[in-house]
Amino acid sequence: MTAATSGTPTDPAMRSRGFQSDDGGAGSDGTVVAGTGAFADYALDPRFYDELFGGDGRPRDACGRLSEALDRFPAEELVKLQEGVYRRFLHEGITFTVLGADEVSEHIIPIDCVPRLIAAAEWDHIESGLKQRLMAINLFLRDIYNEGRSLRDGVVPPDLVLGCPQYRVEMRGVNVPHDVYVAVGGTDVVRTDAGFAVLEDNVRVPSGVSYMLACRAATKRSVPGLYREHGVREVEGYPRRLYSTLASLSSSTARPRVAILTPGRYNSAYYEHAFLAGEMGIDLVEGRDLVVHNATLYARMASGLRRIDVLYRRIDDDFVDPVTFRRDSVLGAPGLFYAYRAGNVVLANAPGTGVADDKAVYAYLPRIIRYFLNEEPILANVDTYLCREPEGLAFTLDNLRDLVVKEVGGSGGYGMLVGPHSTAREREEFATRLRDNPTNYISQPVLPLSRAGCFVDGALQPRHVDLRPFTLHGADGQNVVPGGLCRVALRKGSLVVNSSQGGGCKDLWVLRS
Amino acid sequence: MLARVAADLYWMGRYIERTEHTARLLKYQLAGLVDSPADELALGWQVIYRALGQSSPMTPADVDEAEAFMMADAYTLAGSLVEDHTNPDSMVTCWAMARENATQLRPQLPLEVWTTLNRGFLWIRDCDFPEAWKEGPAALVSEGIDRLRLLAGVVEATMSRDNTWRFLQLGRFVERFQHQANLLCTWDQLGAPAGADPSLSWSDLLRVCVAFELYCRRHGMTAERDTVLEFLIRDPEVPRSLRFALQRIEQMLVGIDPLGSRHPIAPPRRVALRLTATLEATAEIVPSEERTEPARNRFTQHLFGQLAGDGRRLHDLLMAEYVDYAVSEGLPS
Repeated sequence: MTAATSGTPTDPAMRSRGFQSDDGGAGSDGTVVAGTGAFADYALDPRFYDELFGGDGRPRDACGRLSEALDRFPAEELVKLQEGVYRRFLHEGITFTVLGADEVSEHIIPIDCVPRLIAAAEWDHIESGLKQRLMAINLFLRDIYNEGRSLRDGVVPPDLVLGCPQYRVEMRGVNVPHDVYVAVGGTDVVRTDAGFAVLEDNVRVPSGVSYMLACRAATKRSVPGLYREHGVREVEGYPRRLYSTLASLSSSTARPRVAILTPGRYNSAYYEHAFLAGEMGIDLVEGRDLVVHNATLYARMASGLRRIDVLYRRIDDDFVDPVTFRRDSVLGAPGLFYAYRAGNVVLANAPGTGVADDKAVYAYLPRIIRYFLNEEPILANVDTYLCREPEGLAFTLDNLRDLVVKEVGGSGGYGMLVGPHSTAREREEFATRLRDNPTNYISQPVLPLSRAGCFVDGALQPRHVDLRPFTLHGADGQNVVPGGLCRVALRKGSLVVNSSQGGGCKDLWVLRS
Repeated sequence: MLARVAADLYWMGRYIERTEHTARLLKYQLAGLVDSPADELALGWQVIYRALGQSSPMTPADVDEAEAFMMADAYTLAGSLVEDHTNPDSMVTCWAMARENATQLRPQLPLEVWTTLNRGFLWIRDCDFPEAWKEGPAALVSEGIDRLRLLAGVVEATMSRDNTWRFLQLGRFVERFQHQANLLCTWDQLGAPAGADPSLSWSDLLRVCVAFELYCRRHGMTAERDTVLEFLIRDPEVPRSLRFALQRIEQMLVGIDPLGSRHPIAPPRRVALRLTATLEATAEIVPSEERTEPARNRFTQHLFGQLAGDGRRLHDLLMAEYVDYAVSEGLPS
């Protein structure tokens, strides 16, 4: 393939194509299209780290083979691959559900068939950072629901933790098996020119792992030769590892009975719940299937009631038990929390873990890591301004145009303001909200998310990406699946990767060497 | 297996069977559009709707023999049975309901079963009925039947013979038993009673039940009322005979609860056994002393009434035994 260059292009053909910016117009910064063939429309931009090409326009070390192969790939073949993937997802029902006002609709998450590559050494760095982070989070959660040393020692302001809506006073003093509060974590990792950083921790009910596996199945079918050549680390063992993690939390000496608790068929992640239950060979239960009797959790089987030892719950804390939490919940089981406190069933993740993924608490994660592990954080945090603090609020209000403002308990890309893409009226509205309830918000700079090659509108084009790897933490140790959900902002120039807002996903290949 | 999953499997089986039942009735009727007289066609629609437990949309007395009207009625009635989401027995409704159940069963079903069912659903959901009507509606219905049989084959080839399979089969055969009993009753009373004009032939009933060839081999080509009824009720080798469905129901019930965990003989199995005994109680399904017309009609009405009642009871007891039991009954001993 032809390499792109920074500065003056020497190839007349490249000169005739001219410089292109992220918006597709003439570039102002001197970076150029990366080649001919399939890369004819691939515009590099020095503002954004490109996963495929270096700043000099040459393929990165790990990506040479991939970029060469893509360059040779006829566009019509890529179109066929993409259509094949779509058809397969449609037929196999790999969908997410959207509840509208009047109807329920099923959508296929857009999949880009061009994989993103991560070199072995880079992955080792990410993996050790994720393990460190989840270890610290579990110690922190144990502490805040028991002795509270970290609060007394001023590591995290007590009012921030105790006033957090996700702090569950009911968890105080509960004997959590093996002190594992978070058994499954999903961490949003981004890459910029400065390296990898954690954007968010998801330690309540992180989702997306089934799409990681679906993407992998799709690329293995679409580009089998390329996959084999690259020596990619496998992710397919995730359900086995998940089962092992969940089972390790049980005190049962016999084979523990594990089940997944789903809100039901109309939940947006239902496909994932069903997929994981099927892969692990365990029951997928709903609240209506559960009965608590004598502080013991049972599932209603066709042959009678059967005890459950470990419940991998995929519903929020509020809905777990209407007796303890939200009274109008029909998704959980009355008395479930009582059975949990009695030690007769394990809940994974434990109730109350949401404190640790609160976006304000996030700002203190580096301090939490240092305090509990006596280590420097391996993965950096993104600069975060806490609006609960007067200086943070003032800075945020003064720089709304340049910042991303998020609700501390928000998710899914909702309830946020992306300053550079906002209107004056939206900024005004947000400023009012910030002044009215500053503790509910944090702000961060707009990150120049890295871009990866995607096949969009019949051509290879760079699009912004993030990454959600999944970390398992059980009594038998920690495990990070070598891969993750790689989300893509498919709309040109967009930085929002959420599937509910025009995002898609692609396979992530972690190379063995 | 979760009780809710058992119920979903059972209902999935019922809806798949119901779709095929509707499609077979429709296929027979659509074939008649080519050359059957209008009053026979009207009677055919009446029998189909009655057999499905719905009120008859038209009777032979309503028939306007003008061809245009006859075809317009056929278009409306067939459309209602193919693509009408408000008709509980239409192919699209049954397929959608089967898929809805299957969606709850993703962890239990082999991917191949889910995919085949889902593709069938997408096909009928997206089918353009007015266009298909222009090109020949029989082809549309035939394709629907082919897809259902493909699904049956995939189920047969991929599913383990555990309780997942048994509850699915249980649903299929309970549905088949109830529908076949209703169809035989309707045909006997409405479609082809002795001396009625117009009437439908008993060989047509055999074709609807995909049993014509086997009947000819067993009994010759003359399809007589009592012989056909005997054949479709009691022959254990005819897939759509009541006896065949009952045998499968019993097999599944024995497999699901071989040791009688809560009862020595579970209540649904007791009903199945009683139904079998009813079918075997006489040397001939319509005893010769009952063959004067009024006596015979009284006898068959009583028999079909009893079968229908026991079929409904069987369903209720299955739900009570495996799905809706009281917590106190389900606690481990």
